[in-house]
Amino acid sequence: MTTDHPLTAPRVAGAIPAFRKLPQTRARAPSASSVRWGGYLGTILKGLGLAVFAFMLFGPLANLALWSVAERWYTPFKLPVTYGLRYWEVVFRPTGDAMSSLATSVSIACLTVVVALAVSVPAGYALARLKLPLRTLLMIVFLLPQAFPSVAIYINVARVFYTLGLTGTIPGVVLVHAAHGLVYSVWIAAAAFAAVDRDLELAARNIGASPLRTFFTITLPLAAPGIMASAIFVFLESLDEFTGTFFVGVPQVTTLPLLLYNASMGGNYQIASITALILLVPSVLFMLFIERFLKADVLSKVGQ
Amino acid sequence: MTRPSFFGLILIAPALAMIAALFLYPLGFSLVSAFTVPGGGFSLTHFEKAIDLYSTDILFTLFIVILSTLLTAAISIAIAGALTLGETPWLIASLRFLYRWPLFIPFIVAAQCMRTFLAKNGLMNNSLVAMGVLEPLQTTSFLDWRGIVITFVWKQVPFVTLMLAGAMASIDRATIEAGRNLGASRLRVLFEIVLPQVTQTLLVGLVLSFVTMLSVLSVPMMVAGSQPTMMTVDMAFRINSYGDYATANALGVISYAIAGAVAWIYLRHNVKREVGA
Amino acid sequence: MHKTIVAAGISAVLLAGPASAQTLNVATAGDQNMVDYIKDYLGPMFEKSHPGVKVVAVGTGPGDGGSQKIFEKLDAQKKAGANSDFDVVVIHQKAAGTLVKDELIKKYRDTLPTGKLVTRDTANNSLGTDVSGYVMPMFHSQTAIAYNPDLVKSPPNSYAELSEWVKKNPKQFGYNGIKGGMSGVAFVTGWVSAFGGDAAKLEVGPYDAATKASWDKAMGDLKEFNKNVVITPGNAGTLDMLNRGEIAMGPVWVDMFYTWKAEGKLPPNTRLKLVSPGMPGQPMYYAVPAKTGQEKLAEEFIALATSPEVQAEGIVKRFNWYPGIDANNVQSKLDKADWDKLFVDITPEALAANGKAFPIGPYFNDILETYEKKVAN
Repeated sequence: MTTDHPLTAPRVAGAIPAFRKLPQTRARAPSASSVRWGGYLGTILKGLGLAVFAFMLFGPLANLALWSVAERWYTPFKLPVTYGLRYWEVVFRPTGDAMSSLATSVSIACLTVVVALAVSVPAGYALARLKLPLRTLLMIVFLLPQAFPSVAIYINVARVFYTLGLTGTIPGVVLVHAAHGLVYSVWIAAAAFAAVDRDLELAARNIGASPLRTFFTITLPLAAPGIMASAIFVFLESLDEFTGTFFVGVPQVTTLPLLLYNASMGGNYQIASITALILLVPSVLFMLFIERFLKADVLSKVGQ
Repeated sequence: MTRPSFFGLILIAPALAMIAALFLYPLGFSLVSAFTVPGGGFSLTHFEKAIDLYSTDILFTLFIVILSTLLTAAISIAIAGALTLGETPWLIASLRFLYRWPLFIPFIVAAQCMRTFLAKNGLMNNSLVAMGVLEPLQTTSFLDWRGIVITFVWKQVPFVTLMLAGAMASIDRATIEAGRNLGASRLRVLFEIVLPQVTQTLLVGLVLSFVTMLSVLSVPMMVAGSQPTMMTVDMAFRINSYGDYATANALGVISYAIAGAVAWIYLRHNVKREVGA
Repeated sequence: MHKTIVAAGISAVLLAGPASAQTLNVATAGDQNMVDYIKDYLGPMFEKSHPGVKVVAVGTGPGDGGSQKIFEKLDAQKKAGANSDFDVVVIHQKAAGTLVKDELIKKYRDTLPTGKLVTRDTANNSLGTDVSGYVMPMFHSQTAIAYNPDLVKSPPNSYAELSEWVKKNPKQFGYNGIKGGMSGVAFVTGWVSAFGGDAAKLEVGPYDAATKASWDKAMGDLKEFNKNVVITPGNAGTLDMLNRGEIAMGPVWVDMFYTWKAEGKLPPNTRLKLVSPGMPGQPMYYAVPAKTGQEKLAEEFIALATSPEVQAEGIVKRFNWYPGIDANNVQSKLDKADWDKLFVDITPEALAANGKAFPIGPYFNDILETYEKKVAN
């Protein structure tokens, strides 16, 4: 089952392995019996296509990896002149705070996901299923944090937070990040709930399940893939966030993107590349965690 | 009718409260400064200035974002389609492993990677020259609007594909089977059976991508020179160089109007579809 | 949801982290090397002489944008009636003027033992605003034209020669316009000083709003000039293109140039040239926010940072930056070889003759806006 897509919803027959295999076996039969060189050519074309795709995808990342170990690299050399781990030592030096900033970043991102999902699951359900006045306007309101120049907003947020004593605290930063991530979680949650088949809910109600029970056993699990996807985006958004953290968190709360931002804008390629690679670790782990969580939790509810 | 609506309002209230407290309220200050002059009183001066100085950049921004969204849509449909309907297991497995990586790269790092990758003597051209695909004299720099579009598409395709492939995986395989058994090509199955069932997800992904790209500062700043440039760079420039929040906020209002218009089109489409269904 | 518990646990640990007896928060605009300078060099030195004090350094981003963020944060704190989070700030000239006008920083220099070592005019006059007493220069930086001698055998000596050179060598010169950072801005103000008429008036005033009309020809020529140059993405973008040999010449900040060279990101033989009639430079300032709770510590920190020893060892020897305090006090602390390294490419005479100040605030803004209207649009 490892080839299963992470977001596979437990939708009726499609999720059952036996059904899944069918199309492949059936489809392969005619292609094998038909013209053989066509098959070879196809394979070569597919391989080439994949290679080009991989090049476009990993080329920029290879650049990142190269810069992280390049100690000297300049024209006319096409590759670094000398390699070394000097800049890794710089990032991880005792006064560098890289690891503690990373821990702060990750815990803020996790809390942000919790807060964002806690408010957007009910909101998404309401937007998708219940009659709301001015629904279009409400949806557009949630886009706001993405669309408006954030600096102007954060200055004012910081001003309000000073009076509340929220500046320089983790809850303050989490709130700002969560509001910024809400556009993903609310919009995607609304879409996920809208995609759930109402007949299944009705069926559950007909056999006597309470509305609440129906929601938790039918609707929520079916919408879970989308909601979990939104969790990934909220997590990543929080992990990248710079401006809000600066105005609300600094200097008591410092995150890794603050370091990244400085290094990247200033062209300190080695430091920026290494910091980016460090940030990659929690992102990938979170993604893997979500996938596991999905499979265990959602698939087990199939047929309940 | 009133009862469910009231319940819905309760459900949405926490999220709305959050937006109201953390964005609408602070936004109020910004709007005031965009629509008034220092002496007080309503005025459109700042909008005139914004249009006067940055009309080219506003059009440039629209061009970049629309083109990037369209390309993102095309590539995401292709990848998600291949993942759902593909019949070559190794290809599907590699695609599935590959496509997601840019998702984890922050925009600012993506910009930095692309700046060194797409340059005239960057890693891309160097590799192509080394492979014999290009002659050294044929190399060109992509560090202009093309660089911005490439970076955006590179970063947003995984986002949209992740959502799209998830939605496609959850549609009823039986419908696809039926189509295939009737002899429809995979392309036809993709466009006539699969896509119509996932339009909602695709559009949500695209609207969110559109708005995200509209708001990114680091990519236009770091990938391309500043003439012309995107509105985010102009906003930052107004603030950092002149301390001129009013014009920056006026540009912000224009940017939000563009985002709002796109969201509105999507939502109208949605309502129509629901009525039709 | 055990994730919640884990996350809450982590944050609880973080919040309850070691609360040092005293923390001195230093916010600095500018590049990462500024933050590192404080984190690795000044901070530990200060902590050693002040047991129990912890120095925390935060970077706010390069260029005026970084200084603007410091201003905005201090402004928000003032409007909220809160004490300032920052105890020492390191800022650019433009922000210094605004901070003084808005009374967001303290007048502290006159009580500082190193205060009298400051002689440069920019320590008192920041783009036309009187800032005497409010700021201490950390170091002085200068813009100059960087060039690759493999590609440019005889670099131009003046703006006029450069303009000719660009005509003969299209797309070999690159600068970053005005929205991508100060090195491009410096190039443009230098251009206006060279071709726009009364250069001295731009630097000292008085301001006359009608002056900008006299720049039309210079700006028109600049537009023409731009057709044959590459507009690079940012200060770092110019250096980046020099790194890959895509351009042969471009205006850069001298301090960044040396950092890039030291980090192996420029060909080792890359050189600098300060063209006549001159390009601008500016200092970075140390300042103390008006409502800090650590006034005494902050002043002691700045006193240490501007002492001749630190200026010699940290600013000149480590980074090849021009010292902020009077050079005579610094030179005596250094070997001749270390001191001379500062002037390999740009001689003291050239620096004295061609190292200019930026235009005063209102002219500065006029130049930028005229550029936006006449050149970029």
